[in-house]
Order: sequence, then structure tokens, then C-alpha cells
Amino acid sequence: MISKKSISYIAALTLAFILSGCGATYVTKGSEFPKMYEEQPKSLLILPPMNESTDAEAKDYYMTTAEMPFALMGYYTFPVEMVTDIMKQEGVYDTEILYNLPMNKFHEYFGADAVLMTRIKKWDVSYMVIASTLTVSIEAKIISTKTSQELWKYVGTVKVDLSGGNSGGGLAGLVASAIATAINTAAADYVTYAHQANARIISTLPAGPYSEIYMQDQGVELIDQTPER
Amino acid sequence: MKIGKVISVVLATVVMFIVSGCSSSPKPLYNYGDYSESYYGTKKEATTESALEYQKALEYCISGADGSRSGRVPPGMYANLGYLYLKAGKSDKAIENFTKEKTVYPEATFFMDKMINKVEVAEDKNDK
Repeated sequence: MISKKSISYIAALTLAFILSGCGATYVTKGSEFPKMYEEQPKSLLILPPMNESTDAEAKDYYMTTAEMPFALMGYYTFPVEMVTDIMKQEGVYDTEILYNLPMNKFHEYFGADAVLMTRIKKWDVSYMVIASTLTVSIEAKIISTKTSQELWKYVGTVKVDLSGGNSGGGLAGLVASAIATAINTAAADYVTYAHQANARIISTLPAGPYSEIYMQDQGVELIDQTPER
Repeated sequence: MKIGKVISVVLATVVMFIVSGCSSSPKPLYNYGDYSESYYGTKKEATTESALEYQKALEYCISGADGSRSGRVPPGMYANLGYLYLKAGKSDKAIENFTKEKTVYPEATFFMDKMINKVEVAEDKNDK
């Protein structure tokens, strides 16, 4: 028979666990991104990402993942394929040029309220003999085309351990797991993890005008990403 | 004794809440079908097959809109389809879809009008 005392103890512990999270500091969407609620951008122009990774194809591949999450959060997202081609024709697809254009150009040309700038910080596999880790890390920010101010910014990182489980010692075991690592890496689909990174990023974004909770989510908590001072 | 019962009920509810998460998840705001996967397919390998898959996915976004929470075609899908028609030389169908885009999403009006204008100017030149 479980005593009353132990039940209340467990209850208190559970509650404390829920409230505390895992020791992370929490902030609210409203306190972290007040400018999103002030300016209330309705449409987002998704710019090609700045690619800082070693994978040249990451830019094109990542572009295919960015549209959906932002639209599903309630924003109007401009048609990515069409916008990309126009930028190529206008000779501004190179992010060096694009990211240095005055922000009001995007309002003049597309009628966009804000632009989404993304930076692929990592999109690679670090190989080691026994284990390798796949990392996809994306930084996203929304900049106003009217005031050129940064309205929102977040980083989403996904790390995946690709080692297929080390099965026993011995030289044979080492060779086996090295093969398993190679196979898993080849089959690893970066785009799948880019979607996961996006999901982490998007959970922090204030909802857009097509969302049912538009202008009602200021109190939603998220993990504070501010570097420790 | 009573308090113990209440606490167990509360505890059970909390546990259920944690475990279940959002099991009764509502319908998505938009139905995208295989849009993202097929778009990725065209970047990975630009073939007639992958292009066809992409077009099919766009068409599904339009036909499947009724089943979504918003009942709307997702942003940009009419425009993307119109753009495919434009590249295939079907100006009428391109304009038709660009017009639908701005009807559903007024945010796109400026951009779509610009595109429609461009298509019409090109058409005029071709006629002469």
C-alpha cells in the first residue's frame, strides 16, 4: 500500500519537474520578439540561404524546406521557386549581393512586408573511425523591409549520431561498425534533419495573421538562446 | 483518505497529459501533400519525371485544400503552378493561376500584377 505521504511527494516532484523544465531559462515570445508584435508583418519573402557549410548543394536543398513551416505558422510566403528564378535572372541570387541590398528593394519589387534570411551554419558529417555525427544547424531571422530592423531570430540545430551501435570489441567489431557508419551516412538524408531543425526554429516564431492564435501568443515560453553574459 | 484519492486522480491526469501530448491533433492549416518532397526531388535530379511529380504535388495542394483547416490553397501554390505554365508557354493558364493567387492572398497582389503585366507585354510582342 502506497502511503499518502509518498503520493504527495511524487506529485510535488512531478509538478516541479514540469515547471522547471531541464534547468533551461525560459523567456516569452512577447518579451523576446516585441517588434514582431509591433510591426505585424503579414508576408515573408524567403531569400536563398547563405551557405557557410562545406556542402555546395545545401543551398538549393534547404530552399525546398523553408516555405512550409513559415506558411503553416500563418504568414503569406512568396512562391519560392518563382522568386528564386527571378533573383537569378536579375543577377542577385548570389547571397553576397542579395544580403547587402537595401531592405526596401524587396518591398518595391515584391511587395513583401519582411524578408526571411537564413544561414546554413552546419550541414555535414564529422567522420570518426567508430562514430560519426551528422549536424544540421540553421540560423533564421526576419528583417522588416520598412524599417530594416531585425524582428525575430533563432537558431535550430539537429545532431544525429550515425554510428550503428558498436557490437562488441575486437578488430572485427571495429571494421563492422566502420562499415555501418559509412552505410548510415550514405543513406542519411540531410533534408529530413533540415525539416527537424526548422521545426525547432519555427516553434519560437510569433504566429502570423492566418493563424487562429495571431496576436494571442505573447505568453508562450521558449528557451532563452541569449549567450551567457 | 480523500486527499490521497484526489492527488492520485490529479497525478494520473498529469501523467496522461504528458504521455498523450497532442494525440488528438487537429487538421493541418494547409494540405501540402508531397509538395516539399517533390520540390526537393526536382533539385536532386532534374528529370521529366521529377518535374511531373512536382506539378502533381502542386495540383494536389489545390485540389486537397477543402480538407484542410483553413480550406485555402497554401500560399504560393497557385503562383508556382502558374509559373510552370508560363515556362511551358501557356500564357493564358499562367495568368489564370496568378489571378487566383492574388484572389486568395491579397498580400500577393502587387507581385502577381507585376507578373501578369510582364506576361501580357511579352504576348503583345509575340503577336506583332
